[in-house]
Amino acid sequence: MSRGFAMLQDVIAEAEFPELDLALRRGRHVDREDGAWYALLIDAQEHLEAFYRRYGCELIYKTDGYFYLLPVGEQLPRRHLAVTDMLVGQAMALVYLDPASVERGGVVAREQVLEQLVTAMGSDALIRAFLPKRRRHDERVAQKQVRAKLAETIRRLSALGFAELMDQEQVRLRPALLRFAEPVRGLAEPAEALARLVAQGEVALASEGGAERPGRRR
Amino acid sequence: MGELATLCAAASLAARRTTDIETAVSAPSEPSRVLASLAQHRPSLALDTLDLGFLVALHLRAQGSASTFEEATLEDVFEQVCDAIEPTAEQRKKRATYAIARLREQRLLARVDGHGVVRSGQYALTRLATGIVDFFLEEDVLTRESLTLLAASLRTTLSEVLAAARAASSPESWASKVEAPLRITAAELVAGIERRQRGLDLQQEEFQAEIRRLLEADWFGAISRCQGLLESTSATLRELGEILLRDTSILLSLLHDIEELALAAGAEAALAATARVMEQLDRIAAWGGSRQRAWSEYFQYVHRYLRDVVRLDPTRALTQRLRDQLAGTAGKPYVLALAGAAPIRLLRTVAPVVERPPVTRPKAPRDREPAEDSGEDPQAVLEERVRAALDRGASELSDVTSEVTALVPAPERFAMAGRVAHTAAQLGRASASRERPWVKIRQEMQIEDWKLGRRSGGGS
Repeated sequence: MSRGFAMLQDVIAEAEFPELDLALRRGRHVDREDGAWYALLIDAQEHLEAFYRRYGCELIYKTDGYFYLLPVGEQLPRRHLAVTDMLVGQAMALVYLDPASVERGGVVAREQVLEQLVTAMGSDALIRAFLPKRRRHDERVAQKQVRAKLAETIRRLSALGFAELMDQEQVRLRPALLRFAEPVRGLAEPAEALARLVAQGEVALASEGGAERPGRRR
Repeated sequence: MGELATLCAAASLAARRTTDIETAVSAPSEPSRVLASLAQHRPSLALDTLDLGFLVALHLRAQGSASTFEEATLEDVFEQVCDAIEPTAEQRKKRATYAIARLREQRLLARVDGHGVVRSGQYALTRLATGIVDFFLEEDVLTRESLTLLAASLRTTLSEVLAAARAASSPESWASKVEAPLRITAAELVAGIERRQRGLDLQQEEFQAEIRRLLEADWFGAISRCQGLLESTSATLRELGEILLRDTSILLSLLHDIEELALAAGAEAALAATARVMEQLDRIAAWGGSRQRAWSEYFQYVHRYLRDVVRLDPTRALTQRLRDQLAGTAGKPYVLALAGAAPIRLLRTVAPVVERPPVTRPKAPRDREPAEDSGEDPQAVLEERVRAALDRGASELSDVTSEVTALVPAPERFAMAGRVAHTAAQLGRASASRERPWVKIRQEMQIEDWKLGRRSGGGS
């Protein structure tokens, strides 16, 4: 049931607000699966957009059904996903688009994400991307390290609301994954769409040094 | 894998019907007994597609004519099954012999004539085989009609049982009119609903796979068919949920009445049978709720998928573009921007550091001033004092120690106590019980006490 919030203070007084606010500021994407958080964002969208604009941020709502906070000023720190996070995110988005994932309501095995990466990039390129500093590597050890890094990346992306960890092997894909496909989505030329998103601050070009190592902020 | 899983399910279903373990299975309240019985009999099943086909063919033939088969008939049927399933199979007679032996070993086919070697045998499918075949042939799915019919039958049965319970006046009438119908008729009807529930579960799985196949075959064109499938299943589940909600409460109310009467009459067996049917009904009601929730989530997921993915990308160009992007063959690599506020720093409470003084020993001048010494032998003085104490009648070491150590400065008393004990043992006759008591000496120390006597002929 929709709550009509007359004033911002009514929104802030809601029990879910502190947790939701902290999560958004840490880069969390919030969708229908988040229940009370999503309902609060929908009901108080107008108030919260104005509220976060004062911090130099945009509260973005995508028609795919998710919210996130995008810093456009200097008040709130901004960070970029690491290149490996992007690779895994794009692979997960591909799995999300695959009709095979529909059969199980979006629940897929971690292995399927890895298969998608291998199919698209090839094993060697994948190992080079995940282990860039390693010049010589034992194949078995390298594969093991890649699997471990993949698990770690999926865990990190899950914390940001792109997926939900079900158990050790299973993961439920969430609609925010479509953000990884944003520049190649729509009818516009991908290059134009990318330039527009870069101008809006939604993405940065990896070659221009926009990417950071996981965990670092600027 | 799917076939194996289905076979396992069928095997477990069918295994329940095995004669030997039937008694154990009929007592579901003791799973350890059931498992022990299974372990003792070591039942196992191994059937490939040809064996299953053979069983199904025999079952179908038995429906059309007599339910027993002669050996020649078995071989003919096997030949037909080979034609259908393995047309290239050779040595069919030999294979038929092995197949028949395999089925007999697994108690799926039984010889029923009892003539031994005198003439060729007559064979029939066992209940185990019928159970397996039923699983593959029957398409019992819970529908509005079947659920309404089963629930109405169950309601009639329970009403009759309730009337019988009210009229029952002897243990025999409780057993025959109440317990037996509950155990057999009611339980069978409820089991019928449960079996159809499993059928509906399988059908839902099929629907989910069908939605996938439709999308894979005809991406954009499949939308309306997928929505049709979703709507029909949702409607079925909704209807079933409503019927289950309405009927289970009526049935449970009847069972509660029977339970109260059984309790008042002390009819233990009827009470147990009632409880068992109630458990089954609770399970059925819980199934309805859980399936509706799960299907609702799935329904929403697929609708979102159709709306956000399929409708917005009718030519599946997005998938190809994203794949090219991931492979690095198209476009510039990019990274997403996110809010990155650091977690709030929570300062912990700091306890003031307690400075402990270092452990030292009291300082004393190393060099002592020379002092006059009387030149007496300290051991001789000690012996003198101990002997004097003994002469005064001290009979215990604690008395002697107390008296002698009182004469020396406090810091030396502990060391002196040891010497006193040594000297007292030499001068007197020490005796001690197995448990020597600890005795305090002036709140300064404790010693283990001895009895001391005068040494016979010893020095005075």
